[in-house]
Amino acid sequence: MKSYDLFDLASRNLRNSKLRNSLTTVGIAVGVASLVAMLSLGIGLQSMATSRIRKSGVFDIVFVTSKQDVRGMRARMQDTDEANARVLDDAARKELEQLPNVAEVTPDIHVVAEVGYGDKSRMTVVAGLPMSEGTTDAFDKLQGKFFSNNDADEAVLEEDFAKRLDPNPANLLGKEIVLRYAERQQGDAGASDSQGTGGGFSVTRKEQTLTVVGINSEEPFTGGGPGAHGQVYIPIGTAERLNMMQPFDARAMVRGDVTGKTYNMLRVRVRDSGQVEQVQNAIKKMGFAAFSVIDALNGLRRFFAIFDAFLGIFGSLALAVASLAIINTLVMAVLERRREIGIMKALGASDIDVKKLFFAEAAVMGIVGGAAGVLFGWLMGRIINFGTGLYMTRMKMAHVDVWYVPWWLIVGAIGFSVLVSLIAGLYPAARAAKLDPIQALRYE
Amino acid sequence: MEAANDGRVAVQLSSVTRHYQMGASVIRAVDDISLAISRDEFVALLGASGSGKSTLLNLIAGLDRPTSGAIVVNGRDLSAMASEELARYRRETVGMIFQSFNLVASMSLAENVELPMRFAETPKDGRAERIRQALERVHLGGRLHHRPSELSGGEQQRGAIARALVNNPTLLLADEPTGNLDSRTGNEIMELLREVNASGVTVVMVTHEQALADKYAQRAIHMADGKLVEQAEVRQ
Repeated sequence: MKSYDLFDLASRNLRNSKLRNSLTTVGIAVGVASLVAMLSLGIGLQSMATSRIRKSGVFDIVFVTSKQDVRGMRARMQDTDEANARVLDDAARKELEQLPNVAEVTPDIHVVAEVGYGDKSRMTVVAGLPMSEGTTDAFDKLQGKFFSNNDADEAVLEEDFAKRLDPNPANLLGKEIVLRYAERQQGDAGASDSQGTGGGFSVTRKEQTLTVVGINSEEPFTGGGPGAHGQVYIPIGTAERLNMMQPFDARAMVRGDVTGKTYNMLRVRVRDSGQVEQVQNAIKKMGFAAFSVIDALNGLRRFFAIFDAFLGIFGSLALAVASLAIINTLVMAVLERRREIGIMKALGASDIDVKKLFFAEAAVMGIVGGAAGVLFGWLMGRIINFGTGLYMTRMKMAHVDVWYVPWWLIVGAIGFSVLVSLIAGLYPAARAAKLDPIQALRYE
Repeated sequence: MEAANDGRVAVQLSSVTRHYQMGASVIRAVDDISLAISRDEFVALLGASGSGKSTLLNLIAGLDRPTSGAIVVNGRDLSAMASEELARYRRETVGMIFQSFNLVASMSLAENVELPMRFAETPKDGRAERIRQALERVHLGGRLHHRPSELSGGEQQRGAIARALVNNPTLLLADEPTGNLDSRTGNEIMELLREVNASGVTVVMVTHEQALADKYAQRAIHMADGKLVEQAEVRQ
């Protein structure tokens, strides 16, 4: 039998028992809606979580530190021979710059400083940013502009900090602020005595006038540890030029690493985020510790894969119940249409034709129920997003979609619904096909 | 009496038996029947209830398989056919009509007549014309969209004949076609079957009315207890 005849007959048969078949189809729709609802919630939450990381613009960055560890954690974990760990100095920085697929290597600079504006003085954390940071999503909502060059005496202020200087942050654009900081001045390295004392560096209070060029509401991920939340950003070239003393310098001095410049952490920007893992492995082979957000994201993906699987299983329960309804409906149809099946066989229908007809009826219920279920699930998602949006607005928080239905979920849910319906149709279809036409024709 | 086994033979039965197991006992519904039916012949199968005539008709129709023996129709042995081949045989070679008409109640007359064409995968384009012709042949040209419940018994049986003939079968099998009809309507149906036979279709009809056999069939075959007991030419 041709497909159009098959589906025409199947639709006709389903229309003949409108109420029963409609109820079964509604059952499938509820099952699919439940599945879509559960999975789209999981996908929405995953999308929300990963987009926060993506927005930070650190997907193509590898953070490099020395394996020297003041707290001895690595040594306790027997991860490294601390005494022989490589120092992250200028030579290492140059070596990192030579690695394939590396776009730039910049130091991580976070310092505690004071910012003066008019008669106000505020303590804060100043962070240096490379020019490449200006193209990331973190600066999408920047008021004003990013730095004009890598050595400009310019600053971008974080909005909350800017409010501490002026209730209307926009007033600060183009104005000058004074940065007061501790400058590290190199001492005489060869001055240490026979007891190993002496040498090191001196610290001097300095001031630098900066022009405020931008106010930013989002926080770029600058890679620092606890307390590294910057509120004033300056170009990384300027930060290096000012030679601001960092907490790490005390450790370097004690270790005697004061002959040249050493770094607490270097940010290695990779040309393509797809090569992050390869660059990260190369850095580890050089003897340094390397970390990228890909590591954290992979963990997050694993978590959501398990989370989605659980949601999918719970969502599928309703569809499993609906599949029992399909079996019941079609078995009833086989019993009611025994004589009709006998007539069809007498007129030349093969066992396969009869089987296909019942499969087609199951498939039609699956397609209609699946489509209705997806629509129902999507509407539920819209309502929940709307409700969440209202709540977030009331709480003065940015609107986020916690519910997300991707196109593949729509196609997949309808496909799954048809598959479940076909599996449910297996037994009734086989039963119909096996009917003895002579017995069926005698049936009243 | 057997027809000669040549190209003129439409149906050839050789030592056909059909036994049913009912608990410990065996029911011999058809018991060692050999028979030949010529092309264009109109044969009546007569006998009391339970004589095996309907079972024999179902065997010839390919709805049932013999316990032993061979049934050859148009040179092809039905007992050697797979289920799919038998289905094709039923839709291409055989037309069937029943005592209780067996039209599908939820379908219109036209849709009932279209049903065998769906199974035969007849292209959709020419179907409407063939349905119209088939129904006009049985004088139901004006009742295409009527449901079986809106038709009289005679009209339903004429509709069933149109359905049986729409795929142009060479063999028409009728199981008590007038059993549910009054004598006048029954005669109308029999006249129709005679016209069908005259157009070159072999007709095998099960009936228990000797008068109908005498009037319309060329040969009457009497059965009793599953056996063929008598054959006689009844019409020239």
